Amino acid sequence: MISETNFGYVADLLRRETAMLCERGKEYLVEARLLPLARQAGDPDVDRYVDRLRTDGRERARAVDALTINETSWFRDLAPYQAFTDNVLPQLLSSRAHTRHLDIWSAACSSGQEAYSIAMLLDEALPAGWTARIHATDVSPSMLERVRTGRYSQVEMNRGMPATRLVKYFQRVGSEWEIVPSLRSMVTVAPLNLAAPFPPMPTFDVVLLRNVLIYFDQTTKRDILARVSRTISPDGFLFLGSTETTLDLDDAWVRETTGPAGRVVVHRPRAGMAAATRPAGAASSAGIASPTTASTANQLPTTLRTGA
Amino acid sequence: MITVDQPAVQDVYSVVEEVWNTFLGDGVPILPGARDLPDDAWYSAITVTGEWEALILIAMPLALAGRITTTMLGLPEDDECSTEDLTDALGELVNIVGGNIKSLMPGPSTLSLPLVAQGAVTTTSDLVEVCEVGVVWHDEPVLITISVPKLAGGAS
Amino acid sequence: MHALIIDDSRTMRSILKRIVHELGFETTEAANGQEALDVLEAGLQADLCLIDWNMPLMDGYTFVTRVRADQRWRNLTLMMVTTESEHSQIVRALAAGAHEYVIKPFTAEAIVEKLELLGLHAKEVPA
Repeated sequence: MISETNFGYVADLLRRETAMLCERGKEYLVEARLLPLARQAGDPDVDRYVDRLRTDGRERARAVDALTINETSWFRDLAPYQAFTDNVLPQLLSSRAHTRHLDIWSAACSSGQEAYSIAMLLDEALPAGWTARIHATDVSPSMLERVRTGRYSQVEMNRGMPATRLVKYFQRVGSEWEIVPSLRSMVTVAPLNLAAPFPPMPTFDVVLLRNVLIYFDQTTKRDILARVSRTISPDGFLFLGSTETTLDLDDAWVRETTGPAGRVVVHRPRAGMAAATRPAGAASSAGIASPTTASTANQLPTTLRTGA
Repeated sequence: MITVDQPAVQDVYSVVEEVWNTFLGDGVPILPGARDLPDDAWYSAITVTGEWEALILIAMPLALAGRITTTMLGLPEDDECSTEDLTDALGELVNIVGGNIKSLMPGPSTLSLPLVAQGAVTTTSDLVEVCEVGVVWHDEPVLITISVPKLAGGAS
Repeated sequence: MHALIIDDSRTMRSILKRIVHELGFETTEAANGQEALDVLEAGLQADLCLIDWNMPLMDGYTFVTRVRADQRWRNLTLMMVTTESEHSQIVRALAAGAHEYVIKPFTAEAIVEKLELLGLHAKEVPA
């Protein structure tokens, strides 16, 4: 069985590469996932293989890959995706009618289920003549490679994927399922460390920053949210994880409830919401929005803004 | 044109791993490795006929056969398993493994009903073994083999 | 809520029964499509059917087509649970009227998530 020191190294590697936690008690899982790789690399056991990982970047990538399979599901938590289709998208279709283009950022994309879930929803709901680009970023090169390849195991495909979408958007490749080219081409993949300054990026209409802020301390969280607020349209939508909030972190955001039974929270840039605060779910009229009284905001700037 | 008569070993290993992790996940993983089977090992067999033809065998010692049975049937770990229980559980195991292996190969083809017996299942000389995956679980061996008709020209 | 579990393997029926019992379902079992139809004809009030494909007497695909052709059972949710994992097979089953499709092997989580997709809850599932 893997030594304590080596387990610590692997847990640390995992946390750095993917923000995932690997607690005590998971030694057997690490052993099981790494032993086949160890044998392939010619090492007699996992401890020897972990020694190799310390200096071999390519094997490290393989190891991270093997350890993180099966950790995420499609349309995770479901309700936010319903909110995207039923509430967010109709508003954007109205406010972006002049460009007919949407830019969406999956900001800790991991193996890509979030990005491709959104791609599927867009394929179903975007009218003809519209384009969309999903920018999928992550700090881990091996995760990015998984997104590029777009291939998932049978067990991963069983997680939250409606059968109708499975057959429509995936093809069998060996024992796995691969996303169809038309969807893969909607997703651009790039490395990005949220804790570091962002490279140049488009202004996003929707940002998905789900279940990743929890891995950063308060100061970094604030900093990340501040930098995200500079990448998002004034009337853009920020999705955090179902239990996450920007409260007591950053007052640059306004909370809105939306989705089925109003269970989903989206955050909108406070400054941009001066233009209009509408009841969740109502589509805006195209062009200039008129100011209305906000129920939750304190003081709204009075300048009118159009959509980006 | 190159025709492939058997699935890739890594794909077969992935299938076995997925089956174990989902239905037989008890905290003890299967690990790659080959060990000799005892003479009184239990064998479960299933055949594939159609576009691809093969015989798929899973062999293991009685202790593992019992463990698989109690786990899948939700029985207490040290329960005595009837032959009927063993046959049903091991038959379903080879059905699931066989079904997934079948999906790796060109279709359409059909799975037979499974066959479960104690003692080595020997095949006729018309079959040639083309794929072998050995794993170790709870310190005991499990052997998965795939054999195809000789005329298909299966290379080992 | 009531689930009708249709599979010729007692082992698979046992696995599925345990999973849906945890979710608060009551269960009835059938060993093939014909037995399952008989049970429905006899008046069983089921909400969900979990259906294997390959079974003697009547396979799961035929069972699906027969149920979907009958107005009495228009509210019955049909979920295939099978090793048949070829793309074309899944398309066939969905075209015949199956609502969902689970490929064996599956985790309990996978079944739970599929049932959530179908909007079927017998009781609150802990996160």
